[in-house]
Parts: sequence; structure tokens; C-alpha cells
Amino acid sequence: MKWLINQIRKEEWSPYAAGILLGIVGILTVVLSQNLLGASGGFENLAAYIGKAIDPKNMYFNYVMPAAITFPVVLLVGVFFGGMLGALSSGTFKFRTMDDEQWKQAIGKQTWKRWLLLFIGAIILEYAAGIAGGCTSGLAISGGMLLVPAAFLFIFGMFASGIVTALIVYGKKY
Amino acid sequence: MNYVIAIVLGVFFGFSLNKAGLTKYNKIVNVFRLNDMAVLKFMMTALVVAMIGLYGLRGLGLVTFPAVPTTYVVGNIIGGLIFGVGMALAGY
Repeated sequence: MKWLINQIRKEEWSPYAAGILLGIVGILTVVLSQNLLGASGGFENLAAYIGKAIDPKNMYFNYVMPAAITFPVVLLVGVFFGGMLGALSSGTFKFRTMDDEQWKQAIGKQTWKRWLLLFIGAIILEYAAGIAGGCTSGLAISGGMLLVPAAFLFIFGMFASGIVTALIVYGKKY
Repeated sequence: MNYVIAIVLGVFFGFSLNKAGLTKYNKIVNVFRLNDMAVLKFMMTALVVAMIGLYGLRGLGLVTFPAVPTTYVVGNIIGGLIFGVGMALAGY
């Protein structure tokens, strides 16, 4: 018991241990709810509320990602509290401005630059998730565990362009 | 749809992401800089565990798979390529 509490208090687990936990959560998601884990889909469902207000006849927000409180939306609420619980359990919970030591050394000290790139990156990310049909969790992990070819095509694309982008962003410091 | 199940699953999902360190910028970017493979280890372990579990359960007839993500080769690859740019820029 004491061992377990000590493990939970750790800030960072071995990626293998955390991976096993996620794998079990993935199985339970299918067994208990007939759904798949995902993150980007929930945001799209929420965005559909705004999208439909602007353009009521939009095909995408009417048929592909309708405005509704769907499973991924509720899941996102859980993810928020789960992440918080993880940080609280290891005593690393705090409000921060997204500044990261590695970012500061490689790109610059200004926080606004970080926010701007984060914002642009997030737009690109969500847009791409819309094209591909999912994100890292919804397509790569959830699709991968059902052995869907789409997941492996997606992982290939993600790493190919991610490595090139990191190469450009970091330049000589890569 | 059962909201309680979705919330509880979400909590464990977020918890595992936090403990794997995927909520940190440097973890995500360093996998693209090829000097910290934690993200890949985490993802692949989850994949292997879930693959074995799900296909095992289906073999025993205990579970039916939900609608799987559709495969459309060009869309998946192009989506993945754009996604990688966003992921390496944002780091989340």
C-alpha cells in the first residue's frame, strides 16, 4: 500500500507504466461505452456551436461534427480533472504562463512569442485533425489499437513533418 | 450515453498523460528532436496493451468494436503531415 502511494506521488512515471494504464483505459472505453478515446473531436463539437451560428448550412458542422455534447466533450472534462489530479498528487500543481526552460534557451525569453506560436500551432493541429479524422489520441492510439491502417499512415505523416518542423524551429540548436 | 463513465475514463486518461509527462512542452518536442523517446514509448506501450486486450476480448466474443476511424490514404497522410507541424510548434 505504501509502495502504491509513493508511486502515485511520483511526478513522472516510467513511460511504460503510464502506457499500460492508458492501454487499460483504452480497452475499458470500448468495453464500457462503445466509444474510442479522443481529444480533438470534442473541441470540434464545441466549435460547431460557433460555426453553426456563423454559417447554419455548413456541411461539416451539420453532418461530420454536429454541435452536441458528445462522448468526447464529456471525456475532455474528465481529462481536465485527471490532469489536475495527476499534478496535485505529485505536488507540481501551479498556475504558469506556458514558459518552458528549453523553449527560452532555444527560441527566446518573450512569453508573448510562446503564446503566439502555441496559438498558431494549435490552429494547425486542430485543422489537421479535422482532415485526418482524429488526433494523436483519437486516431493514432485509438485507431492503432484496433489495427486501423489510417492510424499508421497518420503516425508516419506526423513524425515526418514533426521532425522537419523541429529542425527548422531549432535550427543549429537541434 | 453515460456521462459518469465518460468523466471517469477521462480522469484516468488525463492522469496517465500527466504522469507520462506529455503535458510538458519539452517532452513532446524532444521526441521530434530524437533525443527523448518517452512519448513514443508511452504511445506504443498503450497500443500494444490495448491491441492484445481488445482482440483477446473480441476473440472470446465479449466485445464488439465501435465504428473504427475510416481510412482514406491521402487524407490521413496529408492530415498527419500538417498535424506534425502544429504539434512541433505548439508542443502539446
